[in-house]
Amino acid sequence: MKTCETPMIEIRNLHKRFGQNEVLRGIDLTVCPGEVVVIIGPSGSGKSTALRCINRLEEITSGKVIVDGHDLYDPATDINYVRTEAGMVFQQFNLFPHMCVLDNVTLGPIRVRRTPRAEADRLGLALLEKVGLADKATAYPDQLSGGQKQRVAIARSLAMQPKVLLFDEPTSALDPELVGEVLEVMRALALEGMTMVIVTHEMGFAREVADRVIFIDQGRIQEEGPPDEFFGAPKNPRLREFLGRVRHA
Amino acid sequence: MALDFKASVMWESVPLLLGGVHLTIIITLGGLAIGFLLGTATGLAKTARGKLPRALADIYVEAIRGTPLIVQVMFLYFGVPLATGMRIPPVTAGIIAIAVNSGAYIAEIVRGAVESIDVGQTEAGRSIGLTRMQTMLHVVWPQAFRRMIPPLGNQFIISLKDTSLLVVIGVGELTRQGQEIIAVNFRAFEVWLTVAVMYLVMTLSIARVLRIYERKLNARFGR
Repeated sequence: MKTCETPMIEIRNLHKRFGQNEVLRGIDLTVCPGEVVVIIGPSGSGKSTALRCINRLEEITSGKVIVDGHDLYDPATDINYVRTEAGMVFQQFNLFPHMCVLDNVTLGPIRVRRTPRAEADRLGLALLEKVGLADKATAYPDQLSGGQKQRVAIARSLAMQPKVLLFDEPTSALDPELVGEVLEVMRALALEGMTMVIVTHEMGFAREVADRVIFIDQGRIQEEGPPDEFFGAPKNPRLREFLGRVRHA
Repeated sequence: MALDFKASVMWESVPLLLGGVHLTIIITLGGLAIGFLLGTATGLAKTARGKLPRALADIYVEAIRGTPLIVQVMFLYFGVPLATGMRIPPVTAGIIAIAVNSGAYIAEIVRGAVESIDVGQTEAGRSIGLTRMQTMLHVVWPQAFRRMIPPLGNQFIISLKDTSLLVVIGVGELTRQGQEIIAVNFRAFEVWLTVAVMYLVMTLSIARVLRIYERKLNARFGR
């Protein structure tokens, strides 16, 4: 297990049950500031659920999730505030279809941070520039390609100046030729030192960008390590089997 | 006996009937304005987390949907004053009846539309730090409202026609005016035909206005 002086994310003995189905059976994970952690695993393994717990999009059965010192499941915690510190990028983008691209990005700053509109617009345009979509500011989500939508979604998350970005299979809903442009933006964020936790099936990206790769299966972390070790010499037989299947897919 | 149709009777009845149209419109607009607020509050209560608001909303909706409007109207106008000792003027009673009645149906429209919005929208709103209320206001409601327009239009048309039931409490709306004219001239065919055409003009206007409004909203979505 990783240790650092002030972890950005600390998950301790996290259990999550949907009815009879125990999806998470004791997850322990520490993410340090600036670290890029990639989570892989078969579908239904609980990896997305684990990620969603870091933003309290799921209620948990037991355990602790601490983000930047805030205990997420403590009733005394201001969850709306903590959520601004951990941005979430969804598989289905979840852009707001009734707002233009710029308004999607500035909604958070204006409504949550009470940033004046002019300033929020400046920030929003700068972020759209960063993801290569400044020319789409007045377009509506329906007029964008999947890759463009996901880049807007990333800009929307960044607008809250979060300390962590969580990605839930950000490229899984994209046509293959659009995956690259999204990974490009994520790579740039990693290089800037953004703390990121990414659930993905993009093994090449994981190998290249991750500081640490984690394999979740049957609700538990089965193996973790730096990508070279993780992909080069996987110890866990289930991981070996999983990697074999993914490579031959 | 063949009908001795006189078009002139229709024209002559128009000015008197327009007085009824006026009252029909006032009751419809007043009733629907209050009904919309009532329906929105009830519909949102139905999507609430708390059990109490949900239960109260359910009781209201079921009680109204499960009883005839004409019974509701007579209960309100003839029954309630006996209990409270306060008479309600007929037009006020009419507006209240239409409001309470349409509110129950609008509640279902609101609940359906709000629940039809993908949960990912709420999650996206909450994940940028919006409160539950802000997410509803800025993210879910504008999208749900657009979906409500066609069924709301339906309800508006139904409520407008329902005002004709207010004849039973003597409100001088369009149907009542028709009755009164016929009581004098006995021209049932011409007068009821005129009354029907006037209702039709009003209901078609509602449909028209809402379609234009819907198109305007859609344009704002960039579609």
